[in-house]
Amino acid sequence: MTCPRALATALAGTAVMAFVALGASIPAEAGSAVVATATPAAPADGFQATRTVERTFTEADGSVATVSSHQVTVRADHTQNLRGRERVLVSWSGAQPSGGRASNPFGENGLQQEYPVVVMQCRGTDDPTLPAARQLRPETCWTASVAQRSQTLRSTSEASWVHDVHNTEADKQRVSGIDPIPADECPSADIAPYFTHLTEFAAVNGTVYPACDADSMPPEAAVGAAFPAAELSAFTDENGTGEVQFEVRSDVENESLGCNDDVACSIVVIPISGISCDQASTPTTLGDRSCRKLGRFAPGSSNFANDGIDLAVGPALWWSESNWRNRFTIPISFGLPPDTCDVLDSRAPTGFYGSELLAQAALQWSPAYCLNKARFKFQLNQLSDVAGFNLMLSGEGAAAVVSSVHENVGADPVAYAPTAVTGFAIGYVIDRPGNAGEYTQLRMNARLLAKLLTQSYLGSDLGRGHPGMSGNPLSIVTDPEFVALNPGLTSTNQEAAATVLSLSNSSDVIEQVTEYIAADADAMAFVNGEPDPSGMVVNPEYVGLSLPTPEVPLLDTYVPETQNTCRQANPSVYFSQLAAPVTTMRKIAEALLDAWPNVQTRCDFDLSTQQFKTGRIERQSYGSRFMLGIVSLGDLERYGLRSAALKVGDAAFVGPTGRGLANAISLTQQTRKRGPFVLDQADVSSARNAYPGTMVVYTAAKTRGLDPETARKVAQFIRVSTTEGQEQGSGNGQLPAGYLPISRTGATAGLYASAQAVADAVEAQDPPETDPPTPVDPPVDPVDEPGTSAPPGAGIGGVPDLVLPDLEPPATDAVGQVPASGVPVAGEVPPAGLLATASTESETSAVAGSLFPVLLLVGFLGLMAATGSRFFVRRPEVPA
Amino acid sequence: MSAITTERPSGTHASSAARRPSRWHAPPQEGVAAVLTTACTMVALVSLWVAAQALLLSGVSHDRAQAVLYQELRTQLADTTAPYGPVIPAGDPVALISIPAIGVAEVVVEGTASGDTLVGPGHLRSSVLPGQVGSSYVYGRAGTYGAPFADIAELQAGDVIDVVTAQGETSFTVLGVRRDGDPKPAAPGADVARLSLVSVEGQGRLAALSADTTIFVDAEAPDGFPAPSGRPTTVPDPEKVLATDPGALPLLALCLALLLALTLGVVAARQRWSAALVWVMASPLVIALAWMTTDTVMRLLPNVI
Repeated sequence: MTCPRALATALAGTAVMAFVALGASIPAEAGSAVVATATPAAPADGFQATRTVERTFTEADGSVATVSSHQVTVRADHTQNLRGRERVLVSWSGAQPSGGRASNPFGENGLQQEYPVVVMQCRGTDDPTLPAARQLRPETCWTASVAQRSQTLRSTSEASWVHDVHNTEADKQRVSGIDPIPADECPSADIAPYFTHLTEFAAVNGTVYPACDADSMPPEAAVGAAFPAAELSAFTDENGTGEVQFEVRSDVENESLGCNDDVACSIVVIPISGISCDQASTPTTLGDRSCRKLGRFAPGSSNFANDGIDLAVGPALWWSESNWRNRFTIPISFGLPPDTCDVLDSRAPTGFYGSELLAQAALQWSPAYCLNKARFKFQLNQLSDVAGFNLMLSGEGAAAVVSSVHENVGADPVAYAPTAVTGFAIGYVIDRPGNAGEYTQLRMNARLLAKLLTQSYLGSDLGRGHPGMSGNPLSIVTDPEFVALNPGLTSTNQEAAATVLSLSNSSDVIEQVTEYIAADADAMAFVNGEPDPSGMVVNPEYVGLSLPTPEVPLLDTYVPETQNTCRQANPSVYFSQLAAPVTTMRKIAEALLDAWPNVQTRCDFDLSTQQFKTGRIERQSYGSRFMLGIVSLGDLERYGLRSAALKVGDAAFVGPTGRGLANAISLTQQTRKRGPFVLDQADVSSARNAYPGTMVVYTAAKTRGLDPETARKVAQFIRVSTTEGQEQGSGNGQLPAGYLPISRTGATAGLYASAQAVADAVEAQDPPETDPPTPVDPPVDPVDEPGTSAPPGAGIGGVPDLVLPDLEPPATDAVGQVPASGVPVAGEVPPAGLLATASTESETSAVAGSLFPVLLLVGFLGLMAATGSRFFVRRPEVPA
Repeated sequence: MSAITTERPSGTHASSAARRPSRWHAPPQEGVAAVLTTACTMVALVSLWVAAQALLLSGVSHDRAQAVLYQELRTQLADTTAPYGPVIPAGDPVALISIPAIGVAEVVVEGTASGDTLVGPGHLRSSVLPGQVGSSYVYGRAGTYGAPFADIAELQAGDVIDVVTAQGETSFTVLGVRRDGDPKPAAPGADVARLSLVSVEGQGRLAALSADTTIFVDAEAPDGFPAPSGRPTTVPDPEKVLATDPGALPLLALCLALLLALTLGVVAARQRWSAALVWVMASPLVIALAWMTTDTVMRLLPNVI
């Protein structure tokens, strides 16, 4: 998904319908001819505006000289129905090239740059017709530090804002911004002859923070706040263009800023072109000269040392009228919060249990159900696939959301309705060395994934003592195989580069990842103990690991010996600390978003408490980030993450594009009616154009044994989600980016037809004759499934117990004697017709029937043989 | 068991037999014949002992266990400390069940594993207790260990089953006997307590010996006691019908090892002491160990035979 969404939506604008059918919500492959010729039009959901940005100096004689003039165009790829932490691609062209590039542009780290583009989130919009409270002003713009918004105790040479020709007289005073400055909160803000300008922050609840020091900032701006700074001073390249992924914050993340579906907000983009200076005095003063500075750094240069800059062209004065008047205001709207249905709909939810792959779609779909009284209240509860499936079998969940076939240990037939086409991706955040920006073209193959998942990289010197693999590279960046695929990256090892953040619990996603590995002969040879061409060997603990598997276990037990007193006091398995898998893909996506690996190797001594601290390492510093993680395509698009192209066949690399997914879907085969569509990785390998991480998410439900009410809801969900739920967009009930729409025609036609057939079968609850004979046996006697014999009200308070059913198949060998769910959901009286036809099925045991006859027979035979042997084997000799 | 026979081929015995010749002991057998005879005798002894204990002698231990359980349950009922769920330790007495029509009066224990049903009918732990609203299942043996449910197939609709639990007395009316293919009754209505007795029966001449097919007897009482929530939704495999309990294997290994040790002890003792003395000393030990071993073996066999 390296290609910006703007291109994809521009594609939609070209109205190439065939392309749309292939799924334009997932960006088309970069470099395709269509993209190259597409005219950049403002996308429907996006934003585009152009304005002229000028900087002028008013000379001593009153003449006005235009120093610079730029025709700047700003675009945003999508602006509607955003969710917290969603990232919006903001790009611009025609701006003044920046100089003195900082290694980290976020928050106050980005202040030491010249001619940057400030991108920030502000509450309110720029509509003069609105009341003042809903207007946007510098005081409603969020910054995570004081230095970004207030200038306190500046010297004459630094206080360029007082020479801003566009500023009002009040703002040109020595002390400005708040009048008067609250002495109790800001005792040291006003000291003559220094200059001070405070840009207070007005929180949504009316509280005003004067912002004169760190203590008078809103709580979300505290040092070490939960979320890192989102606003940034971005760099414009020498050709005048630049782009950033700007992360928006909702009131969940930033309560003081308070943006939500009710409170309108904006992304403000301010191309800094310098303060326009007022009439210079004669002779020119120090202040006049400093206001007229043009910058110390050449365009495109770097400022890693954080040297001082010419403040007149820096980002810290974004609020000064010369800069503020040049702003581009991108109005954004937030989607309904995730708890909308809980707040607005008092009905009891109908729980669907299972895959996280559907999470982003369910977020947009659920309001379309709960806000429509003709529909039921849909709720997706995320569980591991197999747990969700078993809840469905036991009748505690209406349906399961899974993405592969699961063993049906119940007696009722289960049908799989394709509900969404999505998949997993190897997400990453990698910076190119030398502050050259993010790496955007990661390529991976199955053996590299196998190396990461089998913990075969050493991580650091601590891992060198591991027996049997001391010659392995410390991390992937020094693996010749990785370097060959991805040249030009840093070769500095770090622990996070030795692992891919993965899932700790059983998941169909991991099953598919390991299927991809298992289909690759080289990768499996490596797992089975054969060294790769560079001599790297698999971690001996993982030799012969059985793949594919829904869960990659942590098998290593190596505890390094070290002189580090903290590690001596806290001995732990080093490789498990490196891998540290998590329970949900959402956590992986957020770790990538924050570039905060889940590596748990931190171990240091806290002098203040005299105790050892262990745990997660620090966030990676901007410019040297390297992190990999397995994420869902929905999260990938929502958070604007990057995904690796995976190797298929001999030399082809395919990323999770709409076309790659569609090609994979056309390779799938449905093995039985109403069953899942199975993707064979061998086909993917030979097709060379299909994405191996493509996964179909199914709604799996029983076609017998559901009560009519639940059956109707499940059928409704399948029908709605495969029709109006497949319209792409960010609105309620629409399909978010990261999913390939299922349509009546094209590659997904088979999925659509199957889904409709399953919906009919689930609603009818009438087992067809053509189903395989074993699962359609009549429900067995309740003796076999005591759980279903529960009396009314067995569930506590009507909430289904989350006790997972016994996953083991029953001990009996008789077919059809498996624990059945023939008896409906606890608390429901079954329809009379259901049990009237059910008949008792006895169990028989060969052991029980033959035990005593055989024992007695053997006993008497033995007696006879023992007696007889005296006569026939050796005749007794009569003593002489 | 083996101790009794192993002494035969020993050298000391042969020499004494030479002095006092008899028809059986006169010629000391050697080679294949000796092995064959000993092996056959051993097989016969083991088989017949197991059969005899399971079919006949086990009734004694069952009666003894019932007497103890009855005392325990009686005391608990009087003290109002008898358990009524939802989770009761396996093996504890939970109910007194009496079926006058077939002369059954048994203390029901919690749990249906093979080991639990040795002492009496077992209550399926994932179902409600007998007498509580909902469906309750009680598994009982049909041929061994007192065979409490040997005759449940003779029950007729309308027969009475009385149950006493911590919550009080319940009188069930039998709905009928269910075999393979019979329609199942509808789920019990509100306030109805359902009790299903589960056992096995055989066919043909050896029906009493070859009971192998499950049989159900359903009974209902109109007013059940409330059932506490929080029961387990499922039971471990060994507690399902006709299931075995592989957990007894370690114990069986221990019993067999003790038997072996006892055999060696007898061989050693026979070198020093007279045969009569060894018989007197070893016999009770051998019988006790054999008894224990067979009890353990029964745990490895289906739980309702």
